[in-house]
Amino acid sequence: MSINRRSLIRYASLAAGGHLAGLRPFGVLNAFAQAAPTQNYKALVCIFLFGGNDANNTLVPFDSVGYGNYASLRGPLALPQNQLLQLASLPGYGLHPNLPEVQQLIDSGAGALVANVGTLIQPTTRATVAAQMNLPANLFSHSDQQLQWQNAAQSAVTSTGWAGRMSDLLGSSFNSSASIPMITTVDGDTLFCDGQSTTPMAVSPGSLAGVSCGEGTAECAARQSIAQSFLGFESGLSLVQAANNTAQNAYQYANVLTQALSGVAPLATVFPSQNPFAAQLQQIAQLMQVRNSFGVNRQIFFAGVGNFDTHANQFGQQSLLLSQFSSAISAFYQATRELGIASQVTSFTMSDFSRALQPNSNSGSDHGWGSHHLVVGGAVKGAKLYGTFPTLALGGPDDSGLNGRWIPSTGSVQYAATLASWFGVSAAQLSTIFPNLGGFSSANLGFV
Amino acid sequence: MPAYCSQIAGPSPSRRDRSRPRRMILRGWLLLLPAACCIGLQTQASAQLSISGPDQMRFGGSQQYTAMAAGVPTAAVWSVNGYVGGTGSTGPISTTGMYSPAAQIFAGHSVTISATTAAAGSASLSVKILNLLPIFASASVTQTVTGTAFSLNVLGSGFVSTSQLLVAGANVATSFLSSGELQSAINLSPGTTTVTVGILNPNAAQNSPVTQTVPVEAIPAVSFTQAARLLDQATFGPTLAAIQQVQQIGTAAYLNQQFATPTTLMPAIPNPPVAACPGGTEFCAQNSFWENALTANDQLRQRVAFALSEMFVVSTDMVNARTIPSYHNMLANDAFGNFSQLMNDVATSAAMGEYLDMLDSGAPPAGQIADENFGRELMQLFTTGLYRVNPDGTLQLSAQELPQPVYTELQVQAYARALTGWTYANPTGGVPTSFPNGVPNYDQPMQPIPVSHDITAKVLLDGVTLPAGQTAEEDLTGLIASIFNHPNVGPFVCRQLIQHLVTSFPSPAYVSRVAEVFANDGSGVRGDMKAVVTAILNDPDARAADTDPTVDGGHLREPILYFTGILRALQFTNVSPQGSYFIASSYTAPLGQTPYAAASVFNFFPPSYVIPGTAINAPEFAQENTASAIARLNLADSIVRNHLTSFNIDMSPTSFLGQIASATGNPATDSANLVNTLNILFVHDQMPAAMMSAIVANAALLTDIGQRVRVSTWLVISSNFYQIEH
Repeated sequence: MSINRRSLIRYASLAAGGHLAGLRPFGVLNAFAQAAPTQNYKALVCIFLFGGNDANNTLVPFDSVGYGNYASLRGPLALPQNQLLQLASLPGYGLHPNLPEVQQLIDSGAGALVANVGTLIQPTTRATVAAQMNLPANLFSHSDQQLQWQNAAQSAVTSTGWAGRMSDLLGSSFNSSASIPMITTVDGDTLFCDGQSTTPMAVSPGSLAGVSCGEGTAECAARQSIAQSFLGFESGLSLVQAANNTAQNAYQYANVLTQALSGVAPLATVFPSQNPFAAQLQQIAQLMQVRNSFGVNRQIFFAGVGNFDTHANQFGQQSLLLSQFSSAISAFYQATRELGIASQVTSFTMSDFSRALQPNSNSGSDHGWGSHHLVVGGAVKGAKLYGTFPTLALGGPDDSGLNGRWIPSTGSVQYAATLASWFGVSAAQLSTIFPNLGGFSSANLGFV
Repeated sequence: MPAYCSQIAGPSPSRRDRSRPRRMILRGWLLLLPAACCIGLQTQASAQLSISGPDQMRFGGSQQYTAMAAGVPTAAVWSVNGYVGGTGSTGPISTTGMYSPAAQIFAGHSVTISATTAAAGSASLSVKILNLLPIFASASVTQTVTGTAFSLNVLGSGFVSTSQLLVAGANVATSFLSSGELQSAINLSPGTTTVTVGILNPNAAQNSPVTQTVPVEAIPAVSFTQAARLLDQATFGPTLAAIQQVQQIGTAAYLNQQFATPTTLMPAIPNPPVAACPGGTEFCAQNSFWENALTANDQLRQRVAFALSEMFVVSTDMVNARTIPSYHNMLANDAFGNFSQLMNDVATSAAMGEYLDMLDSGAPPAGQIADENFGRELMQLFTTGLYRVNPDGTLQLSAQELPQPVYTELQVQAYARALTGWTYANPTGGVPTSFPNGVPNYDQPMQPIPVSHDITAKVLLDGVTLPAGQTAEEDLTGLIASIFNHPNVGPFVCRQLIQHLVTSFPSPAYVSRVAEVFANDGSGVRGDMKAVVTAILNDPDARAADTDPTVDGGHLREPILYFTGILRALQFTNVSPQGSYFIASSYTAPLGQTPYAAASVFNFFPPSYVIPGTAINAPEFAQENTASAIARLNLADSIVRNHLTSFNIDMSPTSFLGQIASATGNPATDSANLVNTLNILFVHDQMPAAMMSAIVANAALLTDIGQRVRVSTWLVISSNFYQIEH
């Protein structure tokens, strides 16, 4: 059997237009959308600290009583007080010595801290923990707690994340003429980005070139057409079908990105080199730079860096990571200022959990629960600490047990809902995205 | 029955008659003789003395000889070949005349048994020693390679080194394996269904061979699909040679051959690293990994070790890469051993010690906690998982439909305390003098320091208690047993092995069948990994798509397998002057995978991953996104254009594919043959017809043979029919 080349190419172009079975709604709606200028642009940038950042050494009581108590309980893991970076705006607290840029962001009003946030189903106390009442499933398990931060639900077993659900809900009203999804991840696929009807665009930082081919213009076109025609075959094999869907979107986004980024001038802001946070955030800044060509009014970005699981050698490992984080997020904030969108971009941290205050037997700390988080951006009501700092006492009122694994005083769902409200989710829509939110006294922590 | 003679020199018939009453009296010992026993041949010496007993006997038995003086049994001094009591080379004769011939006697030869008495003189008897008669229990005739070569295997007893096998009445070269087993390599005409097999023992007074009619077991015809699919599941990728080999010897023999192939070991990383991997120890570890994956003969072992390395994850992101060779070698050596040994070896390895911090975790002060990292993940990630599961891997639910946790936080703390006290071994592998030992030993298992081990009692899973005062080794043994015997381990581990080797979403029945083998390999052994791997690969679910390409299943080729699969099939050659392989990492890293460098202990992708928007459990898809999909296409392009460093991928007209693509000069024929070869190599001879015709039609338009090969190959390896190994 022979196939007429021209008919093959025509079939393939139809395929590229999104007429394939199984292609998810984003592609169907917007494959050939004309980009419209963005208005009222807003972006959320999630920075996930994989492994569980030790918040006890990220934000430390600085007053003499508070520090003394901290130092005695933290033992060999206690940071010397004279190395802590005391916050001018919050003189009762000091930051980890490797966070000088974060110190500046907070004190300048572009950054805020939210204390003791964690996964919760409902407000929880030491008594309800002891009674095992309505606790998040699998506390202290990395995978489960990561997923629960990302889906803002009570168990890891849901198919969507809270950003994905925002994308489902807000796409048609804010990004109706967008040529790419609302969500872009620069750290691979995560539950956070997955919606019921939408999927994210993935970008590999620094390598956005499209499909390469060295067979000459005509043959490359033919080769490409044939390859894309295969994506339309019905094999009955579910994994082939799933890979075809991804490939279909991949071809489309590659075209959009290649066009949007061709000839774009580099940003003046210098990002630190040899820094995995910076590489990701720099890529996000570059995509924001060309946002107009995507026709997006709302964007959510996901970045993430690992190795915060400091069971051993905590001093060296956390210091390195926080140092990279601090310089990178500062450069990113500067880049949003350069782009004139500093008050339209809000960045925030998430992490599996904090770590036990009591050191373990190995110069490190074990898995904890409630943690302190950082929010940065021009719209942030900065220079403040939101939420309630825990009482640092083993077996004390905020301890879930005896080792200083703090019961969160603020639910991660409240933290997420605050960001979602700023982003444009209406009060009425909040409960759709955050089904557990109603159990908490406040849906908005007021930090942005 | 052998013939016994009855002749006595001297005594008269009347004396014989008179002896009868005495024989009646001596009935007790006379009954020990064979029923047909008669009076033995008396040859010389005193007319008074004779020897009663058989004049021939067989190896392996004993015979009673009796000295008779005037027809009456009498005590005598017994000798064999002149030696009183016999010798090692004749065999012993007892003081009462019980003789057992030695194996050293040539079958068919005779010995002389003599009895000497003071009163009646002496007598001698010549006794011929015969081979045993062969007992033919059973035999099998199996084909060894396709064609006329077969292996004959005979089981029974009484076989001797000179036993002769006969096939259809003709002698065949016979190998003596033991007195119970004979073998022969024989040739049979194609289509032979039964043969008559005979056994003849020489010098056994055997008149004719004992025979049986034996069915001939031919190797079942192995299709391209069967061979290629098995190789895709059991190796780092099929090659034409390997496909041909499996077709020749059959799948069962192929697996047996793989099980028997010794481990290809990763060399330790010298300090400083060798020229093949300059620039960092992790490159040396990767170098060995890639070389093994791409070229080692123990492909199944290396493939299973790779799967285990993605279950018992360590990463050079955090650990010194010098720990990797011994860790990988341990996984490869234990791949077909017992799972409890594997658990023990992982726990005490320097690599895992460094990665999950069991290394240097000391006894905590009273009321404080020990490092929980390894204890927690040993259960959660490596052996039991979080929740109790049924034997088929599905969740056990409470009456309230809730999953049931396997362990509590308190149990994690107990495991953590049980695992304290371990540090690097000293340079010779022994117990060091200090804790922690600051001098790393990356190659040998960690060693315990007694004073740094928590000696309080620990309550482990399901009420197993480690009593107070145990040593670190005793606690480790008890701890491993407490997990190894947990019912979750079989289904939890087997399901993941199936995911790595065969399919992302095995049916509960498939998991259950393999877990049953984990629980008992058929010989009462739990945790027999060789049996488990065999069960995984031979399962009906694993083989279903051999004959029905529409059976759903399979898995996305993770980047490492995508790369090795393509290179092996395309018959790459290494052209690095130093023989370097590590550069391969630079091609898989953009796709999200560098050997032994996962981002976390959760591996490059979690076993539970579900493709967004679907209910499909497909671990490798956790790395598949719109960026990696393009990166894969571009890697395929680099390969077909031979743009890799260190590797030559010959796609020229003179390459094996180029020759197929130009053999007749007819573009349509040559293109069809080319794509047919690609079909067998990459998609198990199961390429959809429309895909094949599209690639063939395009190839036929290309007159540049190199381009014809490049474009056609790219279209196959970039397609999801290849990227999904089905």
